[in-house]
Amino acid sequence: MKLQHYLGGLEGLGPVSTETRVFVETWETRIFGIHTAMMALSSQLPLPPTPSKFTTVWTWADLRKGAESLNPFDYFKFRYYEKWLGGISGYFIDNGYITAEELDALTEEFYRDPSKPFPAAGDAAIDNRVVQYLVEGDSPKRDTNVSFDFAVGDLVSIKNVPSIEHTRLPGFLRNKSGTVETVYDGAYVYLCDTGTDGIGAAMPVYCIRFEPEDLWPGNTEKNFSLYADLYSHYVEAPAAASAKQAA
Amino acid sequence: MIDRFQYREDREAYSAARVKALEALLIKKGIITDKTVDTVLDFFETKMGPFNGAKIVARAWVDPSFKDRLVTDTPAAIAELNLPEGMAGAEGEHMRAVANSPDVHNLIICTLCSCYPWPVLGLPPYWYKDPTFRSRAAREPRAVLGEFGLPVPEAIEIKVWDSSAQIRWFVIPERPVGTEGMTEAELEALVTPEAMMGVAIAKAA
Repeated sequence: MKLQHYLGGLEGLGPVSTETRVFVETWETRIFGIHTAMMALSSQLPLPPTPSKFTTVWTWADLRKGAESLNPFDYFKFRYYEKWLGGISGYFIDNGYITAEELDALTEEFYRDPSKPFPAAGDAAIDNRVVQYLVEGDSPKRDTNVSFDFAVGDLVSIKNVPSIEHTRLPGFLRNKSGTVETVYDGAYVYLCDTGTDGIGAAMPVYCIRFEPEDLWPGNTEKNFSLYADLYSHYVEAPAAASAKQAA
Repeated sequence: MIDRFQYREDREAYSAARVKALEALLIKKGIITDKTVDTVLDFFETKMGPFNGAKIVARAWVDPSFKDRLVTDTPAAIAELNLPEGMAGAEGEHMRAVANSPDVHNLIICTLCSCYPWPVLGLPPYWYKDPTFRSRAAREPRAVLGEFGLPVPEAIEIKVWDSSAQIRWFVIPERPVGTEGMTEAELEALVTPEAMMGVAIAKAA
């Protein structure tokens, strides 16, 4: 169990931040740009090849896996883009694109001399592909023929699947019941196969309404409801859930 | 004392140097170019950003039938407008808009990460990415909205939408009273990213 999968409803955290800036330090803009370029150059996308030496897959799922694998204290300690910087640097080292030693050494050089000149190089086709990715996106929707087990208004139960590395099922919804609010048209893949967690292949997605009083009995606010978009693998009929409990 | 509970004294200077080193190495190794990062940042300054969302909301305020279409088929309604290319691009391939009313206030959250509708809103502000917000908004949205300076009376239902799959959400705030004589361009200026995520409402200047 990872705390990062169970954030919803945690108590004792103090006031929220009302910081409206997207970036609070200029350096954060650079790691955002690098991440977006990696997504655009990622090898699974059906986009024109470029001279970029980036030959592996990098998607949101990879960034999220990194954040979810952190020690929970570090997750809360480090600011959003600090986590990105750590995760993305680690990816380039782990995949042999750069070495930790050269990154450390060059960090030291830029630390001593922040105005040290940057290398000037690159083929414009790389940047064109980055823009093409931003414009076209990477739709997860597929025309695959799938069966829809539930309809709007159906009462459903949420499974407690074994999510080892990565999940899109919020912890606070596991083993809870809700009502189908929307059956989205078509089928949706996820960015990677999450293994025993169960998503990846094209499947329906439902928007499900939960009563906060069922989620946090006696410990929530009045007159609100919580909705979550959930992949169908996470959803089952209430009868299936009660049969498992009886077994 | 364990290091985990301390920050480096040179926290920001170190990160600034490290990200420079990383970008320089990636350029040198032929992974990105010396213009790649600026190309991305420029795209979010000029093509994808909250200026698009503001146009969409202002149109919904002046054209009720557009507002209906925006709620029932969000991408198709957005495609009617003369916005930059890419309105169904990265992180906006499948979007859904929900409208506030006198009886309902909507709030968009992402308890697992920071899913955000890039084409119409650009990049998420820090409040949206904050683990404290993501935790608390799920269980006590009224208390959280109060901290944003937005008291929501108990008679108004709050709907909290957790973006856990691949659909990206935004809110159509209500048109403020006292804006009857305003042009669409003037109305756009009243629409903030916060109002389009539900931690604020639109106000008449």
